[in-house]
Amino acid sequence: MLTVTDLSVTYGAVRALSGVSLSVPPGEVTAVIGANGAGKSTLMRTLAGLVKPASGSASLNGVTITGRKPEDIVRMGVALVPEGRSTIPDLTVEENLRLGGLWRSRVERMASQEEVFNLFPILGERKGLRADTLSGGERQQLAIGRALMSEPRCLLLDEPSLGLAPLIVTQILELVSRLARDSGLAVLLVEQNAVTALRVATTGVVLNLGEVVQSGSAEAIRSDEQLRHAYLGY
Amino acid sequence: MRNLLVLPGFRFVLHGAIAAAAWFALITLNNNVEPLTSYYLALIGMYATAMFGMTILVGLSGQVSLGNGALMAVGGYVFAITSLNWQTVPILGLPWNALWSMGFAAVGGVLVGLLIGGLAARLRGPYLAGLTLGVAVGIPAIANRFPGLLGGENGLMLTVPYPEGGYTTESAVEVESVDLLPTDQPELATEQAPLEDEVTGDGDLLTLDDFGGGASSPAVEPSMAPDDLLTADDVMGASAAPSLDPGTDAGALDSGVADAGGLDAGGLDASDAGLLDGGFVLEHWQASLSITVACILGFVALNLVRSRQGRVWQAVRDDSIAAAVSGISPAGSKVSAFVVSSLFASLAGAVFAQLLSYVGPGAFGLGLSLSLLVGIVLGGRSSLLGAIIGAFLLVWMPVAVDGLSTNRGWPEQVTNNAPNLLYGLLVVIVVLVVPGGVTGSLQRALAPVLRRVGSGTK
Amino acid sequence: MTTFIEYLLGGISSGAIIALMALAIVLIWRSTRVVNFAQVGQAMFTTYVALTVRDATGSWLYALVVAIIAGGILGLIVHWLVIRPVKRADTSGAIIATFGVLIALQALAGMVWGGDTRGYAPPVSNEGIELGGRIWPFSAYDVLVVAVMIALVVGLTLLFTRTNIGLQMRASAFNPEVARLSGVRVSRSLALGWVIAGMVGAVGGVLVAPVSNVSPNSFDILLVFAFTAAVIGGLDSLVGAVTFGIGTGLVISLVSGYSDSSNAPVVALVLLALNLLLKPDGVFGHHNSRAV
Repeated sequence: MLTVTDLSVTYGAVRALSGVSLSVPPGEVTAVIGANGAGKSTLMRTLAGLVKPASGSASLNGVTITGRKPEDIVRMGVALVPEGRSTIPDLTVEENLRLGGLWRSRVERMASQEEVFNLFPILGERKGLRADTLSGGERQQLAIGRALMSEPRCLLLDEPSLGLAPLIVTQILELVSRLARDSGLAVLLVEQNAVTALRVATTGVVLNLGEVVQSGSAEAIRSDEQLRHAYLGY
Repeated sequence: MRNLLVLPGFRFVLHGAIAAAAWFALITLNNNVEPLTSYYLALIGMYATAMFGMTILVGLSGQVSLGNGALMAVGGYVFAITSLNWQTVPILGLPWNALWSMGFAAVGGVLVGLLIGGLAARLRGPYLAGLTLGVAVGIPAIANRFPGLLGGENGLMLTVPYPEGGYTTESAVEVESVDLLPTDQPELATEQAPLEDEVTGDGDLLTLDDFGGGASSPAVEPSMAPDDLLTADDVMGASAAPSLDPGTDAGALDSGVADAGGLDAGGLDASDAGLLDGGFVLEHWQASLSITVACILGFVALNLVRSRQGRVWQAVRDDSIAAAVSGISPAGSKVSAFVVSSLFASLAGAVFAQLLSYVGPGAFGLGLSLSLLVGIVLGGRSSLLGAIIGAFLLVWMPVAVDGLSTNRGWPEQVTNNAPNLLYGLLVVIVVLVVPGGVTGSLQRALAPVLRRVGSGTK
Repeated sequence: MTTFIEYLLGGISSGAIIALMALAIVLIWRSTRVVNFAQVGQAMFTTYVALTVRDATGSWLYALVVAIIAGGILGLIVHWLVIRPVKRADTSGAIIATFGVLIALQALAGMVWGGDTRGYAPPVSNEGIELGGRIWPFSAYDVLVVAVMIALVVGLTLLFTRTNIGLQMRASAFNPEVARLSGVRVSRSLALGWVIAGMVGAVGGVLVAPVSNVSPNSFDILLVFAFTAAVIGGLDSLVGAVTFGIGTGLVISLVSGYSDSSNAPVVALVLLALNLLLKPDGVFGHHNSRAV
């Protein structure tokens, strides 16, 4: 269980997040939705340790993760897949994956790699190729695979739909939600594309101008007309 | 006052006044100090001239160049070759003199600057630094390729172009300008006789005034000065004509134009007498040459830096894409910064050649280029005042260390290397702690006071 | 034709040394996106250290080992004290700072060891090998130089492609953020890049010393050659650095042989200028590497 308590982030004088609280239970996908500039990516980058919060905290199963370095947070079990299919193009698929869990023993790594290849078979087929030869959807799979190599207890997915065909997005997200169910992984999914996100999520959180304006079951948020008009724009 | 500052004409006059005041103060200082101090002044003026160009290139335009020592070599060698080999100006057939050499040095510098700048404009940060590093090492090495023309490793010795010797034409200018002064110095005419005798052989030299732009042009005004410079000359000439050159002042003539050695006690004693020097002192002459060039080019730099062009350079440095979108050509801006700095460097090189009476690959090596970089970084990368402070530091530091060393009895190899060790460490510290250098930190501390009198750049 | 071959042979070992220095420059560029213009200054300094050790012990190998260790330490010091603290926005700053280090190291070396040029006796004969009744301009020492270079290149290649440390270093260089998110201690990897580069440079310094002799400035020209080779190779590519390091050595040897050795810097300048004009990213470079 990832718990975020009263988290605030400021960039200079600009308040990017103010008093955000939410929890991400294991085995479920929690979707954070909101318009551009709502603070979704800031939330993710703060949880991963790339941005220092001004106040508030986040903890994984009671252990505080805020204030730590990204490389330590990932070792504690919170892995971020950043926006934009962030793989390292100059490395091979296999190397990108290996990178994801270098501190773990070889045996553990091989087991995780096997799981990733089961989840995303295409990566197994292409493991010797450089990442920049992959298609966009394959690279997104690789980025998620790299994060899974750390055997996280909480996976942070930042805008996985960005620039991908809807069909591919659906496939990937459904894989992720099945993974969450099967392995008890807590998934925090940030999406601008609310429809897609709420389809796979159990819980939804609506972020607007850095504040949580609504949270509840994904179903409820999906059917809330007013919310849709006000914040989600459809 | 504030409104007046906006008028371009006023700014021009203001810059002229600043340059003229600086020139007058420095020349006065020069005439009242020992020859050795004068020599230091000459070096400072030479470094400052080159570093005005570095301010524009490294500071404003953001191109870290190590090639400016080599561009000084271009100026120095062109000066040396033309003054050694040409008796008359090609095509025009006019008799040769040092001003022509300086003009050709400037042209040479601009051409080489165009060549290197054209290449450099395509390059970013480390690529540019590396290319100019190659220039710094490669260009002086060309001298070895042509031992006949360029003197090879040993370089070329110059006839020291001071007024009695190679600069007869300079004296001619002086005679003319002195004649124009109010005739309340009746002894002048007779005292000048020997000098005039010396130049009567080539009386047509006085036509020099035609390109000098005015009867009272300073002795060493570079012939390449753009038209707009003439106003500055007028300002300078009017206020400072009487003390244009210690060597040909009325006072100097009193005791006879002699004593080229300059280091002897006579010159020293006489220098205490005030503006009017008691005898020709080589160092005084060298310093007035260097100071004059530095002030004229300082005036040019001041106008450039505070003009639209200055802002264009900074805009391209800060964000070349945004600048390009605003209709500025980044490449053009970079090349122009290179060319301007080459012009400055080559004229500084021509002055350097005259200070040393020598040009050689050793004098213009990588060390010189690095010195310029050190000076500009320590003084303040994007400020003309920083260039002057940097020039001062470059000359003063070794002197100060030498003084310390004599007191403490350091071994020679420590004394010789201590200034460079300090430079190296200071450069690192300045980059890390106060990227603006001396002027940058001063400006931050005294922002309101310095806004007016500072360099006019950020 | 024989002359041509002789000139080529004469260029191989100097090419190998240029390759090592270019390799050091590339290693640092890859990890920190800084061209370390102090590289040859560091190598000069460690070569003086080697010279001191050699005078004391008489052992070439022992001196080499101490120089390598000193090179690693010096690289670490430069990285931690100078490069890391440079503000990221100050793009000129890092370049200027490395020149500051170069000036300071040269002065320090002059202070400690004096400005005189010192010889450095090779461990094996530096006389040309006699084969088929001719003396070829290739000595036992040249064989040693080339062998050491090949061993280093092979070792580095294995380190980068086969080990986890190498993978972390590459990842840290290519995309520090993704590397950190993957749990890589990026600052350590970058520091390690400087250590390794310092070591490679130190080897290059000790190897070139018998040819160039040792003085605070005697490696300056090597900096120009090494930079030329590194840039033509693409600055990012270890293979490129080695290939064009040797290539530069051969070209310089040919030019020096057919004309005069004083032309070498000019030739390097022309090579560099031509390359930057025609192929600004180098032969082995990726285009995106310049946008980083």
